[in-house]
Amino acid sequence: MGLSMHIRKDLRILIVLFIIVSILPLFCHANLRVMNILITCMIWAVVAASWDLIMGFAGIFTFGQVAFFVMGAYASAIVTRTLGITPWLGILFAGTLVGGIGILVGLPCLRLKGAYIALVTFAVHMILEPFLKSSIGKALGTGGPQGIISIPPFRLGSYTYSSMELMPWFYTALIISFIALFVIYKIIHSTWGLAFIAVRDAEDFASCIGINDFKYKLAVFGISASLTGLIGGFYAHFVGMLSTRTLGLDLFLILLVMLVLGGIGRFPGAVIGAFITILISELLRPLGTYRLLIFGALVIILVIYMPQGISGLLFPLEGNNLGTKLKRIRLKNSQKKS
Amino acid sequence: MFHELLDVLLSGITNGAVYAVMAAGMALVYGVTKVFNFAYGSFYSMGGYLAYAFLSRHFGGYALVLPIVVLGLFIAGFGTERLIIRPLRAKKDWEMLALMATLGLALLLDNLYLVVFGPFVKSLPPLFTGMIDLSGFVIAVEDIAIFLIAITIMSSFMLFLNHTRIGMAVEAVSQDMIGAQIVGIHKDLVFALTFAVSTVLVGIGGVLLAPKYFVSPLGGWEILVKAWVITAFGGMGSVKGSLYAAFILGIVEALVGWQFGFTWTLFAWFTVLLVTLIIKPQGLMGTWG
Repeated sequence: MGLSMHIRKDLRILIVLFIIVSILPLFCHANLRVMNILITCMIWAVVAASWDLIMGFAGIFTFGQVAFFVMGAYASAIVTRTLGITPWLGILFAGTLVGGIGILVGLPCLRLKGAYIALVTFAVHMILEPFLKSSIGKALGTGGPQGIISIPPFRLGSYTYSSMELMPWFYTALIISFIALFVIYKIIHSTWGLAFIAVRDAEDFASCIGINDFKYKLAVFGISASLTGLIGGFYAHFVGMLSTRTLGLDLFLILLVMLVLGGIGRFPGAVIGAFITILISELLRPLGTYRLLIFGALVIILVIYMPQGISGLLFPLEGNNLGTKLKRIRLKNSQKKS
Repeated sequence: MFHELLDVLLSGITNGAVYAVMAAGMALVYGVTKVFNFAYGSFYSMGGYLAYAFLSRHFGGYALVLPIVVLGLFIAGFGTERLIIRPLRAKKDWEMLALMATLGLALLLDNLYLVVFGPFVKSLPPLFTGMIDLSGFVIAVEDIAIFLIAITIMSSFMLFLNHTRIGMAVEAVSQDMIGAQIVGIHKDLVFALTFAVSTVLVGIGGVLLAPKYFVSPLGGWEILVKAWVITAFGGMGSVKGSLYAAFILGIVEALVGWQFGFTWTLFAWFTVLLVTLIIKPQGLMGTWG
């Protein structure tokens, strides 16, 4: 009983957060800049939570999340432009394709040790830019160094989404990102999630009782990449143009801040981290390049002094530790008796 | 055609020598402190920028500037270990936290260079000028000088590691940390020293390559990947292996750049990495670890 109460808690936080966000347009729907920021928050919340799923729960140090995001964006932009299919199918295609690429990247990675995985995935990020700019990339339709302009927006019936009216964009982003985050929530609380926690907290014991986490890890690698690719596709249609600038390290840094600020392995910490980071980022915009300097310092300070991030402050509870869960159940039982 | 090929090979060997120095530094840090230093490439840029800062103010020639740069790099490396890595060591999952913290440091340093030196590339004056003419085949003195300097650094590094008390203490800590502590080796000092030495090695590499390849805020990331590929290809914990690997990869890079253009060199590095990890994950001559 105690367990089921606890499982719902992170979902409750997520739902409350989304309800608050969903009524915000009542007050600011006319302000395009604020609406833009809110949509950006929801996009990055999915990327940060996907990264957290693979890094914080599955315990794999990957640094390819931005690369997956950009792949998804390019994939959806290219298929909708060249084949003329609807962006709804485009982002689904992006999710599937990037999920497949994720599994391909994951296959060699998962046989390696921590720092090697970090390197291979980071190398994927590094070679993506020259690839997109190269002649092969150009032949695929990436537009080479110029990038892609005029990516078609979404359409619903006869209504075409426009960059002057952001309400439809907002609610579409809300629904997509909630579904994506719900998938992540489901994985964390599935047998897979339990297997990860077991392997993370007691690797030898987990292998003794026959937990083979390789296939779960590979599947999660694929799902995490897929969700990131899907939301990347949404981003492409929302922004309407793409260039390899997205692969610059500033987005990487902001994503890192989201994760560290929200708390690694503390779902839905990464989501809260994403909202706060985008907000801080917007507030610090007048500082120009100094903003990223502050973010870099922030990552170091947070990692040293607050490795649990905001989640550690807001919900300083047992986390996923089985021992404390048992203690709490015992405590409840003893209270009942007395 | 033949002269051109010779030229390409020469440039590959020169770069390979510098890569060997930088890979040795990375292998040292990973082997001894078990930290994967994501800021390694940013220290490469730091070497170039420090040299630029002094040289562009006509502070003196390389002979005067180099010792100052080495001192600056040493302090930076030592400070990084003391202030960022050591507080993490006692924590749960500290290896992941160290990875994140050094990644944060890398991005902090890169943005610092961007703020201080601006987004445009900086060039350093050549170390040496002049050419040697070998019956029609011309070699730049600078290439030979870079090669010789890199080889000298590399051999003194090996001598330091194998024949001094501090060097042997470093080796001892990397082999058996607890045993080393029992015989009275100050492990915290060894960690900090290793970081400092590796920072000096990669930073010097930055100074040596800067006249040819310029200094830019984001230039270090390729070096991070390259140094790590060399270490993985040569075999973790084998200095000899990474020495061979550095030359092989330096030459491969030069050949690929010559035949297909320099956008493809990074793909060549990546391919070598993947093939190594799939076929022989322990590298050319190393053991897992």
